[in-house]
Amino acid sequence: MDQSLSKSDIASVAISTTALSRVFQTYKKPQGLKASLTGFFNRKYEYKQALKPTTLEIKSGTIVGLVGANGAGKTTLLKLLSGLVHPSSGTASVLGFEPWRRQESYLRNMGILLGQKNQLWWDISPADSFSLLGRIYDIPKDTVTLRVIELATKLQCTDQLNVQLRRLSLGERMKMEIIGALLHRPQILFLDEPTIGLDIVAQNTIREFLTSYAKAERPTIILTSHYMDDIAHLADRLLLISHGAIVYDGTVKGFMGKADLKQRLKMRFDDPLKVSVKADGGEWVIEAGAAIADLSVAGQDVSAVLKEILSQTRIAELQIEQTDFEDVIHEFLASESRRR
Amino acid sequence: MSFWRRNLAAARLAWIQQFEYRFNLFVDAILQPVLTATVEVALWYAMVSSIGDGVELAGFSKAHYLHYALWAAFVARVGANWMYEFRMGEEIQSGTINVILTRPLSFYQFYFSQFMSYKVLTSAISLVVPAFVSTFLIPGPTDLTRLPLAGLLIFGYLVMAYNISFIVVCGGFHLNRISSITAAKNIAIWCFTGELFPIDLAPPAIKHLLLQLPFSAGVYVPVGYITGRCDASLVLNSLGSVIIWAIVFGLIGQLLWTTSIKKYSGTGA
Repeated sequence: MDQSLSKSDIASVAISTTALSRVFQTYKKPQGLKASLTGFFNRKYEYKQALKPTTLEIKSGTIVGLVGANGAGKTTLLKLLSGLVHPSSGTASVLGFEPWRRQESYLRNMGILLGQKNQLWWDISPADSFSLLGRIYDIPKDTVTLRVIELATKLQCTDQLNVQLRRLSLGERMKMEIIGALLHRPQILFLDEPTIGLDIVAQNTIREFLTSYAKAERPTIILTSHYMDDIAHLADRLLLISHGAIVYDGTVKGFMGKADLKQRLKMRFDDPLKVSVKADGGEWVIEAGAAIADLSVAGQDVSAVLKEILSQTRIAELQIEQTDFEDVIHEFLASESRRR
Repeated sequence: MSFWRRNLAAARLAWIQQFEYRFNLFVDAILQPVLTATVEVALWYAMVSSIGDGVELAGFSKAHYLHYALWAAFVARVGANWMYEFRMGEEIQSGTINVILTRPLSFYQFYFSQFMSYKVLTSAISLVVPAFVSTFLIPGPTDLTRLPLAGLLIFGYLVMAYNISFIVVCGGFHLNRISSITAAKNIAIWCFTGELFPIDLAPPAIKHLLLQLPFSAGVYVPVGYITGRCDASLVLNSLGSVIIWAIVFGLIGQLLWTTSIKKYSGTGA
């Protein structure tokens, strides 16, 4: 953990949790009618600790990227902090409120976007939904109109404001959901997969919008995403969560610094190799007779590998790719999944 | 002030949603109750057709029965609340309740305002039919000047019915799927309201029991009052009973909500 708060920082802490945890009761039913019948009379429940006791502090105005494999506990943490669910144990304070008490003053200052769930009303136009939200949040009508136009212009979706939500494409819907989440200028914003399922153009529009919004309005943001570009672009701080526990708390740069960065070499040789080329640790091998090779090599070993190959043959084509944040995270998540 | 603004906005939402689907609104507010009324009036017509003019059955004329059947079908439709109960249950089961839980809005109020607004809209449209039929096509004992007091009783009944629904809906946090409970509860209440037959036709003990229950305020008492079977004192008694039960069910609902919401797992988010 490379983040710590001094006493002067405590006053600007937006989120703090102490041993916050949540256990869910689940019921597993083996496949088949017989198992259904058995389960009807004798149901066996299991308890899954979705979030292990978690203690953390997040300063106001920070953008936190919350990353983990499916089922790691990211959404559970978001649900707890947004007040959607009660904890099994522990405490949390968000903007000075206990979130699950759902006090009006807290809910007025909090915004949430659940990428896989509609937050607006399906059967009416986004404009009607925003008007309703304006009344719910006690925002004057003119202010709502101006705010909607401002946000819709930045998100390039003004033309769709009066179309029934169900008739919009996924990308257009997501833009409307973002407007709905930001309409009341929340001090704290929970974004759960805001770019999920979107094409690259829509992803970039939303990413750029969120970057400029965060700079302009400085809310505290907790962002989960499976697209590491979202995290790399936006997050000041990275929380990696695995099996319900936070396993890394620091910056993206710090995480990359700790990672075992490798270079990917893709080669085509003029003539097949005469003798096998092997790594010292046995991580890879290019067999004798190979005319092409595709291998990941630690940065400091690249020149030695190339030297050995060049002693046998000429390299007709060579591509060197730097391992990026996305690769490192994917490798991390894959190794975490294997640990299950 | 913000309380009213918020709830009026929720009420407005129900109207906007209804107007989005014009044909559905027509079927819901006109066609469905007209079909029900046609069947019920036809059944009662078949039963009382042998009664000659001036002859009475259990103290009431043929016209009394036909008017009762006509109004009962429409008023029962006004008092029905299965649709909103089902929707609220679905919100919990599917997790779309998250929309409301993360806003400064109460789930109870949000749906109460929508429910009442929907009832005002559909009732205003559908009750024109029995008013027209009983005035111009089959003149009889209907007294339209009695509509305001009957309407007040129906409103009280709706509040109580909504509070009962809210109790059932809270069960959704524990049981996940509650649609069968909704169906069973509504059939039970339907038997007690007096839509099937005027409660005064029941044996004295059963009549006494049914009138002690608040459910007769859903059909029998208001329709009986409009069609001349009951007097104002029964309406006022029924109104008092409905108010007391609405408060009791409301308190139970709020208590259940406080405990049940802790079970919520934020499904699907």
